[in-house]
Amino acid sequence: MKLRRIALIAVVVAAIGALFAFGLLRGNPDDRNITSNLIGKPAPTFALPLYERYWPDYGETFSLQAHVGRPLVINFWASWCLPCYEEAPVLQQAWQTYGPQGVQFVGIQTQDRDKRDEGRTFIARFNLGFPNVLDNDSLVGVDWALYGVPETFFVDASGKVVAKHIGPVTAAVLDQQLGALLR
Amino acid sequence: MFDLELGPLGSASVFLAFGLAVYGAVAGIVGAARRDARLQTSARLAAVAGFILATAAVVVMQAALLTNDFSVTYVAGHSRIASPTWVKVVTMWAALEGSILLWSWLLTGYTALLAVTAPLSPLRPYAISIMQAVQVFFLGVLAFIANPFKVVPLPPLDGPGPNELLQNHWMMAVHPLLMYLGFVGLTVPFAYAMAALITRRPGTEWMAQTRRWTLTGWGFLSGAIVAGGWWSYEVLGWGGYWAWDPVENVSFMPWLTATAFIHSVQVQERRRMLKPWNVLLIVTTFSLSILGTFLTRSGVVSSVHAFGNGPVGPAFLVFFLLVTLTAFGLLALRWDDVRDRADLDSIVSREGSFLGVNILFVTLTAAVLLGTLFPLIVEAFTGDKVTVGAPFFDQTTLPLWLLVLALMGIGPLLPWRRAEQQRLARNLALLTGALVVSGALAWLLGVHKVYPALTVALAGYNLMSLYLLLSGALVPRLRLANRGALHVLRSYAVESRRRVGSMIVHFAVVIVAVGVAFSSGYRVDEQIRLDFGSSAEFSGYTLTAVDRFMERTPARISAGAVIEVTRGGRPVTTLRPRLNLFGEAGRTVPTPAVYYTATHDLYLNLNSSVGPDTTFVVLRVVKSPLVTWIWVGGAILLFGTAYSLGGGRRPATARAVAGEKPEGAPA
Repeated sequence: MKLRRIALIAVVVAAIGALFAFGLLRGNPDDRNITSNLIGKPAPTFALPLYERYWPDYGETFSLQAHVGRPLVINFWASWCLPCYEEAPVLQQAWQTYGPQGVQFVGIQTQDRDKRDEGRTFIARFNLGFPNVLDNDSLVGVDWALYGVPETFFVDASGKVVAKHIGPVTAAVLDQQLGALLR
Repeated sequence: MFDLELGPLGSASVFLAFGLAVYGAVAGIVGAARRDARLQTSARLAAVAGFILATAAVVVMQAALLTNDFSVTYVAGHSRIASPTWVKVVTMWAALEGSILLWSWLLTGYTALLAVTAPLSPLRPYAISIMQAVQVFFLGVLAFIANPFKVVPLPPLDGPGPNELLQNHWMMAVHPLLMYLGFVGLTVPFAYAMAALITRRPGTEWMAQTRRWTLTGWGFLSGAIVAGGWWSYEVLGWGGYWAWDPVENVSFMPWLTATAFIHSVQVQERRRMLKPWNVLLIVTTFSLSILGTFLTRSGVVSSVHAFGNGPVGPAFLVFFLLVTLTAFGLLALRWDDVRDRADLDSIVSREGSFLGVNILFVTLTAAVLLGTLFPLIVEAFTGDKVTVGAPFFDQTTLPLWLLVLALMGIGPLLPWRRAEQQRLARNLALLTGALVVSGALAWLLGVHKVYPALTVALAGYNLMSLYLLLSGALVPRLRLANRGALHVLRSYAVESRRRVGSMIVHFAVVIVAVGVAFSSGYRVDEQIRLDFGSSAEFSGYTLTAVDRFMERTPARISAGAVIEVTRGGRPVTTLRPRLNLFGEAGRTVPTPAVYYTATHDLYLNLNSSVGPDTTFVVLRVVKSPLVTWIWVGGAILLFGTAYSLGGGRRPATARAVAGEKPEGAPA
């Protein structure tokens, strides 16, 4: 009798467990993973002021228009964003690999009004070699329909957005996307 | 800034507290099994030391938040330099890891208090060990899965700040605290119930020793639910307070079963019946509080305010399954000890009505659980995505609520064992009279909707019931005492705190019920476009958009409209609904402006953005009758709970013997 009761309880608990395990495994209906409407469309252009250290190579303003014709990696970050600190060294590493192969990287500091000192500290800490600009009014972020930071966009040589990555970008993602763009 | 590193310090506290919890859980049980008093004492000391260490972890977290130490992961991920101090303090429970820290801390606090104050009994060592076993889970999650003290190798210069919706209202400082105090409080009777099963002592001992804990936990949980409703009303901008969202439902279900439990235990105290019910109810309450945490922390059911996914979800699932299996398994093993020997003498009796309460509240819980999990069940079997909205919950629960109100009026008037026909007939006649008169009065005054009208009728019926209860208790005393009515009332209120407390709580429930019935039944909800300088009519009021404004503090930018409210040409108030932007990254969140009155609220929410060039605003305007009475009722309910807990510490069993005669029926 006792055994039968306990078996019954075990079956019910197992059924409940199976239902919830299904809930966990099916993944989360995460609203951030909606694919961007920008994919397949021309990249929204911008011209933003560069940080001083890039002036010798790029001038005072970085204009996207001027760089269309090469594969582009556009990374949005902010000084208060923890994952941005994780991905910055990854981006710098990739820049050293892919920059010489003709890929242009650009970092856009956004959602960070008047945080120029913080921006300079961020760039200096990771010794970022690729150009970085400040989107002080976060308007470029709006044009690119940012959900949050960090987000990274990949643009092909014709100036079309081909992919978007949400959250900290990894070497694997960069290799995969840029491998396809350089083929 | 601090020279010592806060991250490792916090982690060390958590790890040590975890170790102590493991030790205490094992030592307590081994000590109890071997009747080794020294081991038992060391387990109790471990409980106290665990609380001190958990307190250290909380102090470290607060220090890290207040000094903007972004080398601590949690601070880097959820705090922000520009936030005001109070927001930094409450940021501790604004996200997942911190809220588990708060929960663990309160749990260690309750365990330590129990270890120090609980009277010596065969149950005590097991109960404390079970509390410590629950700690092992929470502190384990904190130490190994969601450690908020992890060190950030390259600390950011600032953080994003907590969720915007949580920075928006001071209630956010209160609601989660109350919620966890409630959940943790209800862990105590659960631990004692388990101890009673382990020791084969399923008598009244375990519930007598936990009555205060149970009522305190229930009171906090009730307060948390009302506070959550009020927060939702003041922040979310839709003019409502309850949306049957999964996150609300999962806090509501343990409350439903706990409510059944605090009623049901009285039957066991008096009549030694409903023993299996009581164990079942408290086990379910505890399981549901863990289930709720799992559901909201795992993304398994989609909710407007889920915490998102992560490794914490599976951990809570495993713990929930383990608790459910162990507790129900233990109950099955001990079924022969727990089973009731006596039968109901008559269904028309106090115990019969308490059984009715159990059935109603368990049915309500089942309905809410089904509605909450239904989308998941459908998806598991068919792959379709469905949602279950408020109409399902309203339609299934409203009739049950009315039955609850009906039972609440008659139940306390029934004597234990069996009601006498004559007295019952008289009481029923008076109750029915009150029901019909107040229902008819409501109808004549224009309440023509079914549920509000029925609620008014049942409110009148319940007020009559309270009058009968009070007069039934006071009239004989008046005759005997030969003193003034006020004196007799005062001495009765002091002598019978438990009884008077329950009357106050039932009165509060009537008030809340009327508030809910009218604010949902007669709500007027409109969207109005107003050019600046122009006016619009709404439900007897004239709203004029006079001006726009903009405020900037370090933490937020707000923009809003100044709306002048007049009635019949006379100025009533000026409301300033606004939109806030916290930090650069945030979404804008609205702060509605509410004009509170005793009869209705006028609620304005800004549905359009306001800038220097805007020429008009779009307002959501809501008029909800009697909504304030929900908050007032909530406050009265808490007062009633506190009242019944106050006063001397007479053991419940002594009182049960002293008051053997049924009260509440006029002689």
